[in-house]
Amino acid sequence: MAEEIAIPSWKKWFEGIGDQVGFFIDFFRNIFTGGFEWSEFVRQCYEIGYRSIMLVGITSFIMGVVLILQLRPTLISFGAASMLPKTLAVSFIREIGPVIIGLICAGKVASSIGAELGSMKVTEQLDAMEVSGANPLQYLVVTRILATTIMVPILSIIGDVIGLFGGFLALNLRDNMSFSLYFTKVIASIDFSDFLPALVKTIFFGFAIGFVGCYKGFHSNKGTESVGIAANSAVVTASLWIFIIDAIAVQITSLLFYR
Amino acid sequence: MDEVNVDTEKKSKPESREGIVIAIKGLKKSFGAKHVLKDINLEVKKGENVVILGRSGTGKSVAIQCIVGLLKPDGGSLKVFGDEVAGMTDKELKQLRIKIGFLFQSGALYDSMTVRENLEFPLTRVLKIKDQQEIDKRVEEALDSVGLLEAIDKLPSDLSGGMRKRAGLARTIIVNPEIILYDEPTTGLDPITSREISDLITSIQKKYKTSSIIITHDMECARIASDRMLIMDDGVFIAEGSFDGLHKSTNKTVREFFKDIL
Repeated sequence: MAEEIAIPSWKKWFEGIGDQVGFFIDFFRNIFTGGFEWSEFVRQCYEIGYRSIMLVGITSFIMGVVLILQLRPTLISFGAASMLPKTLAVSFIREIGPVIIGLICAGKVASSIGAELGSMKVTEQLDAMEVSGANPLQYLVVTRILATTIMVPILSIIGDVIGLFGGFLALNLRDNMSFSLYFTKVIASIDFSDFLPALVKTIFFGFAIGFVGCYKGFHSNKGTESVGIAANSAVVTASLWIFIIDAIAVQITSLLFYR
Repeated sequence: MDEVNVDTEKKSKPESREGIVIAIKGLKKSFGAKHVLKDINLEVKKGENVVILGRSGTGKSVAIQCIVGLLKPDGGSLKVFGDEVAGMTDKELKQLRIKIGFLFQSGALYDSMTVRENLEFPLTRVLKIKDQQEIDKRVEEALDSVGLLEAIDKLPSDLSGGMRKRAGLARTIIVNPEIILYDEPTTGLDPITSREISDLITSIQKKYKTSSIIITHDMECARIASDRMLIMDDGVFIAEGSFDGLHKSTNKTVREFFKDIL
């Protein structure tokens, strides 16, 4: 038997990029061709969105509490304790909320999609779908990517509200501020340029989470350990993309709104 | 390796191309430097059950994956219903796949769906049947054919290995394929269930008039289900004939398969 020809790592890297571009094109082509799988899309929205609310809510609440407790001594030392609601609102809505919720979804959703599709590949379910004449991209990939693209921004908005509520409770542990005064200050301190770029950013986070999860699962190897590798790799790659998208979004937002 | 033919009188190639549903000539497939299929030649007639025997890793599953276009051959000709598979567009390949059923080794049931939903999937997505009464009728009929009607609302995780194979077979026959490819249908099953599955393959051939290629290591399955057998070794067929004909072979590799058969 001839020896295996080793493929150089740079060639593999470029092949991977080519595969991802091809997968991206296939995804868009399949959105508009054939019938859209509405029932599977709704099921995925429920799985990705509704089933993540508890985790997103708890994490956001704790982040709101922790931020107020951390900010309070610093702002008091500057005599700016009244700025606490505004500082929390701007930092949470612009940056901390979307990124933390994006990372939580990367951990929960991207890994779950990667593992699910990876295990379908290992157990030949993807092949079975393909040889039956059905379109696995349309049924599995389009529905999941669109569901994450829609549900991550919604989760982000829910997380923002819960985080700000956590901040209110934390503030009242030490100080005394009414609910209406707190939220009046919060709403007065944020405007269109705080909320919209953050929302747009989470749409891209959601797309990246769905795309990476589906790609890693769909392209996993045919072995049981590859399911774990697909899930792990999906979390790491999706998390990295969230930071990359965030860095790009900050630059664009700064140029558009804060010059 | 020398090619031996131990049963030439039964290897009657038809004069015309009529009646041939699968025609493979000089099929080659490699993965990197590993040449899995070296020179595969095979014709399957309409209504015929062909069993391919061979040790693990000899390329049997690769050959049937090439037939449904899951793998692309490196060389040779592979015609199904007279059409070259390699030259097909995505649409043509999809149309072809509707006519070919494929039973995977594991059954490959969609594990997030019940047995009913598994069977409904090809009806609604591939055949685009909308009438729920028609769908229910076909699902029940297919499950009844494999004796699994009582498990209609169970999840694959609640089924035994044999039941999964039956459910997979029901999902395969529900679209009335003209050809069924079986990838090790009895692997991992006890002898009694293996025999039941082998009998089921034969009864499906008779009931639905299908042509089949059955990849197996199971000699009992081969005996029950085969009209003709081929033995694959190192990427080529080394022997062809009926079960009884090959049983009498003096070829060393062929004898290895039959050594436990009385």
